Amino acid sequence: MDPQALEGLKAVEFTQGMAGPWIGRMLAYCGAEVVRIESHRVPGVVRLYIPPAAEDRRVQPEMSPWFTDWDAGKLFVALDLKRPAGVELALRLVGRADLVVENHRFGAMDKLGLGWESLRDANPGLIAISSSGFGEDGLHPGYVSWGPNVEAMSGMAWLGGFPEREGAMTQYAYPDSLSALHGLFAVLCALDHRERTGQGQRISLAQLETTLAMIGPEMMDQLAHDRAPERLGNRSLYRVPQGCYPCAGEDRYCVISVSNPPEWRALCALIGKHAWAEDPRFEASAGRQAEADTIDEAIARWTRERPPHDAVEQLQGAGIPAGVVQDTEDQYRRDPHLAERGYFETIPHLKKGEVVAPGIPLGLTGTPGRTTRAGAAMGEDNERVFCELLGLSEAEYARYVDAGAIEVSENQEAESSPA
Amino acid sequence: MVAGGESALSGRRVLEIADESGVYCGKLLADMGADVIKVERPGGDPSRSIPPFLGGVPGPDRSLHFLYMNTSKRGITLDIDRPESRPLLRALALAADIVIETLPVGRLDALGIGYASLAAAKPEIVVTSITGFGQTGPRKDWKSADIVAGAVGGPMHVTGEADDPPVNLAGAQHFLMGSTCAAASSLIALLCAGRTGRGQHVDISIQETTLAVSHISGVGKWLDDGIIPRRVGTGLTASVPSGAYRCQDGRVYLMVNRPAHWKALAEWIHEETGNEEVLDPLFEGPSSKRIEYRELLDLFISDLTALHSVDEIFHEGQRRHIAFTPLRTTAGAAGDPHLASRDYFINLEHPAVGPLRYPGAPFRPESTPWALSRPAPRPGEHNDEIMLGELGLSPEALDRLGREGVV
Repeated sequence: MDPQALEGLKAVEFTQGMAGPWIGRMLAYCGAEVVRIESHRVPGVVRLYIPPAAEDRRVQPEMSPWFTDWDAGKLFVALDLKRPAGVELALRLVGRADLVVENHRFGAMDKLGLGWESLRDANPGLIAISSSGFGEDGLHPGYVSWGPNVEAMSGMAWLGGFPEREGAMTQYAYPDSLSALHGLFAVLCALDHRERTGQGQRISLAQLETTLAMIGPEMMDQLAHDRAPERLGNRSLYRVPQGCYPCAGEDRYCVISVSNPPEWRALCALIGKHAWAEDPRFEASAGRQAEADTIDEAIARWTRERPPHDAVEQLQGAGIPAGVVQDTEDQYRRDPHLAERGYFETIPHLKKGEVVAPGIPLGLTGTPGRTTRAGAAMGEDNERVFCELLGLSEAEYARYVDAGAIEVSENQEAESSPA
Repeated sequence: MVAGGESALSGRRVLEIADESGVYCGKLLADMGADVIKVERPGGDPSRSIPPFLGGVPGPDRSLHFLYMNTSKRGITLDIDRPESRPLLRALALAADIVIETLPVGRLDALGIGYASLAAAKPEIVVTSITGFGQTGPRKDWKSADIVAGAVGGPMHVTGEADDPPVNLAGAQHFLMGSTCAAASSLIALLCAGRTGRGQHVDISIQETTLAVSHISGVGKWLDDGIIPRRVGTGLTASVPSGAYRCQDGRVYLMVNRPAHWKALAEWIHEETGNEEVLDPLFEGPSSKRIEYRELLDLFISDLTALHSVDEIFHEGQRRHIAFTPLRTTAGAAGDPHLASRDYFINLEHPAVGPLRYPGAPFRPESTPWALSRPAPRPGEHNDEIMLGELGLSPEALDRLGREGVV
């Protein structure tokens, strides 16, 4: 196997949803050993998945594509953390780890006896990140939120969309992914610091605050001038013209964004507006901004005649920043560039044979990374983790199972030989 | 934030040759304590003219974009297109742990500081390239923009109202995500180099980071259910109920994912509106059970929210453990009492334009503080300090480069 960038790194996850798990997913992709602790008592949302083709409408906990996207490549154990013996085993896993990722409800870890103090007592050099919607102090740390709640609350949703609308929201819970990427960055900073000093630490991430950092210039505008920034839709204050233009075909569009005079002149030539290329009014972007509606109409007249991929080939061929508004099928079937770069990853899946998943875009050309496996059941790796990695004897393992601390599904009980 | 602690990345050195597509990568590293040196063209970087401006007045130190994205960095001016700048540029690169660049593919090699050339002299170096389409593939030379990434990476097709054309997100979100991924990858490469002695070239494609960030609406779901997601307004297709609902004085956002949260919501609706139907066990269970009843449930919920103010729904909803939150304007976010109670927004004095208020830490490390250690540099602010003091250039040589327009 190729060398992996994070070989030797060990992480333990007490997570749910996406904002926590996606951190571990990327660490595992880079070769870290990531153990996710779950419980049958509170299955995560992706475990409550009913496959669209399932006629019996039964929940199938390993089948969600999002479970692949957020959790593939990890080891899965199931512990009853309401039992002291379950907590004891969790702390022993933490004791041999470098890193803990946690995004349970505020106070939940403390209540289980797995608060920061306990984790640090189990492992003085530990790095831990807690990710939550609102953080751990202030007026209402315990409030519940999912990614879209945070998007709404940050002002980001209100700022987005066309001027005549009331805002726009992503359909992909954007704060979850942006928080996960920031969380990943934060733990890597802490690891780099620990390499040099031996010092561990805890990091707290409030998704609302991370999301606000993504509209930094707009918030500075609000804070400095006590006035809301403009809602721009697809326009830009400095790249003109910029927009999303209709193309030939049902619901087909392309975007164009012009940033300088050569690109402007190339666009004028392409759409047959030769006089505009020489018009001094349009030399600077402010002049083009004043006539943006007229310019957009002329562009749309040209794009409407062409399928989006043809239009964009011509635009990029002329040196103009442009792109097809791609749907998922475009991305997967009609994007030769992504195909050649091998963006999508085919991953062995324990139940489906194999699945195709969005790539992990870390771009590490020297240590590219890979996903070992998807579709693990809850407790799939109990024996491997507790016996091989933690070193429990078969008899000890059996005692923890009998005591209900290690949770095994009925299947596993039937399959595992009596210790 | 613990005052006085050492920063996590203190001692790490970064050279940044980046336009707005990669500038946030340097900010992330700099605010965590890395010494990030930003290279600008003589006279100042073009991104100093990105609106909006402080007080609406353009000027080299007045772009709010520039002021925000370049905190904690040091800045030098150097015309990298002039051959005379090459020895300085190479010395700066070799003094760094990480070089961040957003130049067209191949340009770094032409400048004599491509990965192979730097690694020959310093095997542990990490070179992080951030471009629209990556370093390889048939479209590697295509030009990008934030909206181009939003188009080719998937977000636009699924964002906005069903009857509207696709719309890009506010702010340069796809550039920011490419930059955040680049910062994480750079540190992974650095940690790996610490163990193996070998650095690497990090190839960030903003198209790919955009696809990854928006993957909930992406390939896995489509291959699973055959449905190509498109624009549907504010709700998430898979979470029912979810979306924006109108109150007496504004809107709230609601999301229900867990069976227990639905039960709590149904009981509340029943209590306040007398609706019996909402308690039907048909609606109970995970979200997927409710997908076909979405429009009906939206009506039930609107009957409840219409009775109250945003704040009432927010706090009473949260008391019942239901994820109701306000849909805030930027003014609402700026005045948010919870954020105020956590001292989120912070002030920092800029020598040219005075005190400014900034969004604060995107995360809070307990022992190694996140901090804005200095405001964005003025054009060439650290030329002397870096070129004379740290690179050992003689004052005469620097003077000559200045007269020739290289510095």
